[in-house]
Amino acid sequence: MTVALRRLALVVTLPAALLAVWWFASMNSTDFYRPPLSRILVAFRETWIGPRFVDDVLPSMARLAIGYAGALVLGVALGTAIGLSRPLRAALEPVLEFLRAVPPPVLVPILILIAGIGSTMKVLVIVSGCLWPILLNTVEGVRGVDGVLADTCRSYRIRGAGRLWHLVLRSASPQIVTGARQALSIGIILMVISEMFAASSGLGFTIVQFQRGFAIPEMWSGVLLLGLLGVLLSLAFRGVEHRVLGWYHGLRAAARER
Amino acid sequence: MRFLGVAGLLGFGALLELAPRVGLVPERYAPPISRIAVALAEQAQQQRFWLALSDTLRTWIIGLGIAVAAGVVLGVVIGATPLLRAATASTIEFLRPIPSVALIPLAVLLYGASRSGTLVLVVYASFWQVLVQVLHGVADVDPVARETAHAYRLGRWARVRYLVWPTALPYAVTGVRLAASVALILAITGELVIGSPGLGREIAIAQSSGAVPVMYALVLVTGLVGVAANVVTRAAERRVLAWHPSVRGEVPV
Amino acid sequence: MRRQLAALLSGTALLVAAAAGCSDGGGTGGGDSQPGQPDQVTVGVIPILDVAPIYLGKQQGFFSDRNIELTLTPAQGGAAIVPAVVSGQYQFGFSNVISLLLAQSQGLPLKVVSNGNNSTGVDGEDFAALMVKADSPIQSPKDLVGKTVAANTLKNIVETSVRASVRKDGGDPAAVKFTELPFPEQPAALEAGRVDAVFVVEPFQQAVLAQGGRKIASSYVDTAPNLAVALYFTSQQQIDRNPDLVRRFTEAMQESLAYADAHPDEARAIIATYTQIAPEVIAKLTLPKWPADVNRESVQTLADLATEDGLLTKPADVAALLP
Repeated sequence: MTVALRRLALVVTLPAALLAVWWFASMNSTDFYRPPLSRILVAFRETWIGPRFVDDVLPSMARLAIGYAGALVLGVALGTAIGLSRPLRAALEPVLEFLRAVPPPVLVPILILIAGIGSTMKVLVIVSGCLWPILLNTVEGVRGVDGVLADTCRSYRIRGAGRLWHLVLRSASPQIVTGARQALSIGIILMVISEMFAASSGLGFTIVQFQRGFAIPEMWSGVLLLGLLGVLLSLAFRGVEHRVLGWYHGLRAAARER
Repeated sequence: MRFLGVAGLLGFGALLELAPRVGLVPERYAPPISRIAVALAEQAQQQRFWLALSDTLRTWIIGLGIAVAAGVVLGVVIGATPLLRAATASTIEFLRPIPSVALIPLAVLLYGASRSGTLVLVVYASFWQVLVQVLHGVADVDPVARETAHAYRLGRWARVRYLVWPTALPYAVTGVRLAASVALILAITGELVIGSPGLGREIAIAQSSGAVPVMYALVLVTGLVGVAANVVTRAAERRVLAWHPSVRGEVPV
Repeated sequence: MRRQLAALLSGTALLVAAAAGCSDGGGTGGGDSQPGQPDQVTVGVIPILDVAPIYLGKQQGFFSDRNIELTLTPAQGGAAIVPAVVSGQYQFGFSNVISLLLAQSQGLPLKVVSNGNNSTGVDGEDFAALMVKADSPIQSPKDLVGKTVAANTLKNIVETSVRASVRKDGGDPAAVKFTELPFPEQPAALEAGRVDAVFVVEPFQQAVLAQGGRKIASSYVDTAPNLAVALYFTSQQQIDRNPDLVRRFTEAMQESLAYADAHPDEARAIIATYTQIAPEVIAKLTLPKWPADVNRESVQTLADLATEDGLLTKPADVAALLP
């Protein structure tokens, strides 16, 4: 009982303290651009809880989901192919490093040229950014397959799809999950960026319009929502990771305890 | 193998040259790479290009430096004390996923379009990369070694120096490498969106002037800077960690 | 090994601190004068041809003659400039009229100090135009009902002006759809048929003309005669703090505007220094008009139109905004 209480206290104390500081520090603020926290929270309730949630937030989340899934599939597929083949990797590595370094807002005009200004473009922007951590981590993971395991597979004549699934992908999965984790944060950022440029609806679009229309408490409430979204997605990801990588965490915990 | 890398680059270059000429993309708005290279040569003769490049590099290095210093110090301090670690875990998990673009309005408010506005973005995004990695490094201390240190009654400071730091160093270095590429991308994004001095702002000016080949030339430069930064950080990583025996992968989070 | 690492780290930390300490990219103009020193003034501008007068004025010394040391900082748009002026980062800023009306209606303490730029007032020969593809079936603004027009910023001067053109031509202004697309992407989007029409300013007007597009209206002209498109402004705190500086800045601006209006060739030359517009394009650009005084009726007209179109939800006090 006290253990649970202590744990709860640890989780809640610091955030609560920070929120309290923010509340009291901004309580009497007359600065147009830094309104009191109370006003921001009121704006939050008025803006986001209602039809705007369905009209703007859900489509953005849907695009994020599609883009992220696309990046996962493409990243793992390409990464496995590149990781398994040394010549391919040597040939493509400089090109990939180069493409990775181009900042997403710069890619948006190019993608607009190719894909127009609709949802396709936005999904492509998300894919183009989320792809890199997943791809590069998959390549690293596939490269780092344990030699002993590979030999065991060879002596048991496990080849082809079975080898790919049970040996390669499974060994690489901790790395792939790391990449997927980084890609998640990038995906949220790109979801906002893709809607800053050529959009007529969406979460990022709405926040930018608030900023342009000088509706500042609403803008801050949007920023809060983005943070909350990030946290929720990250918690969901943790849950999925625990299931998928349960075997890995157990293995490492056992090795550490000895 | 290096020859293959060059071949890959050449193949990519050929693709970029042919796609507009063949009509895959409109040539007027996605010029072939030969025209971009000409524009780049012209840019390289202008002083404002080199000023912008040095501005971007300065923002990058300063932001990265602050983020790494803060990340390492805080990571070691928080990681070494279990109570602190437990108390800050929820806050870190909340603040970490906040997209740095959400900070753009705040950065503009505080600093306008000066370098500091972009620095806020760069430091914020890079800091988390370093912090999380260092926290993992500190947590990964070998229990046998830890007990040995305890048996030899090593003080807190000695423990940090001989036990925690060598274990955390590979993780920290990975964190720095990740942070370096994030920092560069955010530096240019900040300059593009906010208007701080640097390559990103030159790209924005080229865009608003309708000077398409110049814009792509600058984009090419950002890609090359990113590649160079990656090469430099990897080389530094190899030197700093020359003593580390095993293959270090990126740590699952 | 460890000692080397410690040295490296502390050296880096020192370097970073030193660099951070002595570097600061602009925006530090305090606006407070030291006796005997010229006033440091930072102005937030957008790197477009509209602001040629202030660059020209700086070059001609109109500001330094009045003891003002001017720093011009290019920013990406009103959204970045207004907060910086309000917080004192910049002493003055450049913004289009509707953004200023919006800000004022929301309670921001802004005050216009000088004119920025105006439409040429000549139909068909303005620096901005409503344009369509060469083979488009759209012949006049009223054909835009139900179609999509690209605007670089939604709920702003483009919407108001285009709707005014449609209204003037006999169509229903509320039935026009707008999609937000930055100016640089608009010519390509028009060409590819992704939007039915675009409203562009120079130099993109030249780009659309070069790909065969044609103008169907000069919306700035349709909105009001000699429409004031953008203005220079400051914050009320700045006026309270240093009214003499504001007065001198206004005089310098008026001189610069008159000079630029009278010397278009020099204006074209200065445009080449702060933008990347190709020289052959600069020669063909239609320049805006730069009268020294603000066209107050046109600002009131814009305010009324914006309220009618639903952009301004709260009324704006034009008299309080203008000098």
